[in-house]
Amino acid sequence: MLEGARRIDPGSVLVVEDSQEDAEAIQRALSSTHPALRLEFVHRGEGVVDALLASDVLPGLVLLDLNMPGMDGHGLLGALRARPEFRDVTLVVFTSSTAPAEVDRCYAAGADSYIYKPVNFTLFRTVLKGAVDYWQQSRAQAVPEPPEGSDGSTK
Amino acid sequence: MPGAGAEGLRGWGRVERDDGPKAARDHSWAARLHRLWMVTGGVTDVTAMADHVYALLLAEPEVLAVVGTRWTGGELRYTRRLTSGTRPVTEVAEDGTKSAGAARRPDSSDPAAHGPAVVDRLLPDGEGDFAPEHRLLSDAGAAAALECRFVLGENDWATLSVGLAVPVGPDDPLRQRLTQVCDVLVAINRRIVDVRAHERRQVEEAFLAEASFLMDESLDIEETLSRVARLAVPAVAEGCVVHLFQPDGRLVPVARAHVAATAQDWLSEVTRRDTWTGDTLRRVMRGRTGVVLREAELAGGPFGAATDGPGRLVRAVSVSPLRARARALGTLTFLFQRTDEDISGLRMLDDLARRAALAIDTSTSYELRRRHVAQLQRHLLPPALPSPRGLELSAAYAVADASLDVGGDFYDAVQRGDEVALFIGDVCGRGAEAAAMTGLARHTLRTLLEDGAAPGRALERLNQALLREKVSRFVTALVTLLVPDGDGYLLHTACAGHPPPMVLRADGDVAEVHVSGVLMGVLDGHRYRTATVRLNPGDTVVMFTDGLTEARDAGGVMFETRLVDAVRRCGAARGAVAEHLVGMAADFRASGDDDTAVLVARVTERS
Repeated sequence: MLEGARRIDPGSVLVVEDSQEDAEAIQRALSSTHPALRLEFVHRGEGVVDALLASDVLPGLVLLDLNMPGMDGHGLLGALRARPEFRDVTLVVFTSSTAPAEVDRCYAAGADSYIYKPVNFTLFRTVLKGAVDYWQQSRAQAVPEPPEGSDGSTK
Repeated sequence: MPGAGAEGLRGWGRVERDDGPKAARDHSWAARLHRLWMVTGGVTDVTAMADHVYALLLAEPEVLAVVGTRWTGGELRYTRRLTSGTRPVTEVAEDGTKSAGAARRPDSSDPAAHGPAVVDRLLPDGEGDFAPEHRLLSDAGAAAALECRFVLGENDWATLSVGLAVPVGPDDPLRQRLTQVCDVLVAINRRIVDVRAHERRQVEEAFLAEASFLMDESLDIEETLSRVARLAVPAVAEGCVVHLFQPDGRLVPVARAHVAATAQDWLSEVTRRDTWTGDTLRRVMRGRTGVVLREAELAGGPFGAATDGPGRLVRAVSVSPLRARARALGTLTFLFQRTDEDISGLRMLDDLARRAALAIDTSTSYELRRRHVAQLQRHLLPPALPSPRGLELSAAYAVADASLDVGGDFYDAVQRGDEVALFIGDVCGRGAEAAAMTGLARHTLRTLLEDGAAPGRALERLNQALLREKVSRFVTALVTLLVPDGDGYLLHTACAGHPPPMVLRADGDVAEVHVSGVLMGVLDGHRYRTATVRLNPGDTVVMFTDGLTEARDAGGVMFETRLVDAVRRCGAARGAVAEHLVGMAADFRASGDDDTAVLVARVTERS
């Protein structure tokens, strides 16, 4: 393990979302598809890096909105990827644009996924489920021990 | 469920809220079965019911063990067991037992009529087709068993067996109770399947609606397809690639999206180069409908468990042909890493492909037509303007946005010795006929002016030619002749129903040249007057078509009201005056869809 590397908790998700409405929809969607996930919400990009640096355990996945006042998703993406401590944290951009240029920009900045945020809630839930399932499955395949989510119920 | 009603409801409140001694009071079968019903509300998978179901049966005094099996086709999917010594319900590891699954398939021809069927088993008779239950129930000390088989779906069935110390009689209530529990499982499963199908339909409809919206929004094919692919991931699948046939017959990926950033380039690369993929896409292209390939069908390609690249986790690949108006355009491919039950039906995938194909076809037709129009338009306009000494000529042409027809604007410049003739005109209407007349007007004027005709005379001759041809359209035009005069020029202008030219003086003053005349193609033998003004060095003459003046802003104000100011500003900016003026009108324009042509001559210092 890297010097200073923090433990990743694959059962935990940090949601950075300034819209209260979207945050509630994310909460509703993930609590029905992945009831065991622990969700934490913040409403702005500022302070996220410091809070994570101060924490012993990092979320397995950060779901971030692009359009936020102050430090936006692009800014946060860059700030997180600039830190080697967070290299194993999955960064998923969740936004309402499908513009190819926006996707390319996020991927170049180190996002692991770029997910379109649909208006229809059932589709919204399906898309979130798809992204979380994908990364849980991929991480489980990439790191054989411990299996993803196996420690979810022990804390 | 006979008897489950009143008694069960009466017992419900007490039993659920109190696990103490009072709860034991209503221990009737009906009350317990009712409780089983009540816990099913939030269940999203029939297997999640196992704990409740097995415990309920094990609580029956004769029952020593409960074993359940689930079958897909003739294959055993899982075995679960509950005995008093193995709580809670555990999944039993496969022990390699060869199971005679097909022989135990329940009669599914009419499940409503048959319902779960109960079979008596005597364990000392040997295993027979009762594997793996025989061993598990024997281990628990059972000598007999009741087995109930029930259908959950197409090629999907299950059994639930209870192990007994001794066989039960034909009227023993345990038979009915086992059947009732299986009835509950069948009903829950049906509800879950319905809810899932309903949700999937909702997702598919929402997805198709959003995709259709994207496809209607833009005519840029590659960008639209990239957006649709992005929308599809992970709503429909983990990866999506769109291939289109190129003019040289190659099938090339033009849009792709993958949930994982790192897999995107791999996806492009593998679908561009891999032979198996290429062959598969071409095979699908020859058919009418798409295919979904799984497991063995993926053999030989870069996808599936047998490979070791990023495609290893891909469980299924779907390919749908993109066809429109009987033409093969390309293919729409999805990579699925999700389980089978979350993979959309081929009908929805093909539906999406059909919509995408139509959008591509529309865009392609539009693009082709736009190219033809642009090509034709170029033939109607001079390839280059002359560069006479002492004059700076510039011209600009803007095709109206919303229109695909060839417009009727034309202009040209003819140099004859020291003199330069300029003309600009407009044929009413658009389309092929207007284009033909535009060609006629431009070439006739050009020839006449090259032969030395004066501006008025050139218009008269064109008017006669148009009347002789019995054309049904009117033509407006403006002809000017610039004749050197000292350090400047004399500008002779004749006008046939066209907006008169503007003269911008070196000091910034702007004035219209006073000249008028009827449009051509109407009056036989009409004479056109000529107006003459002098242009000094630094002066500029601006000729234009009415597309410029009739451009309107959102409030309905015409650009005409700004023209004087605009001409002054463009003149002051120097450079390509015509281009500048057309740009200003385009920025101003909110409506007005006529083409715009501008032709400008500026007198420079002559040395």
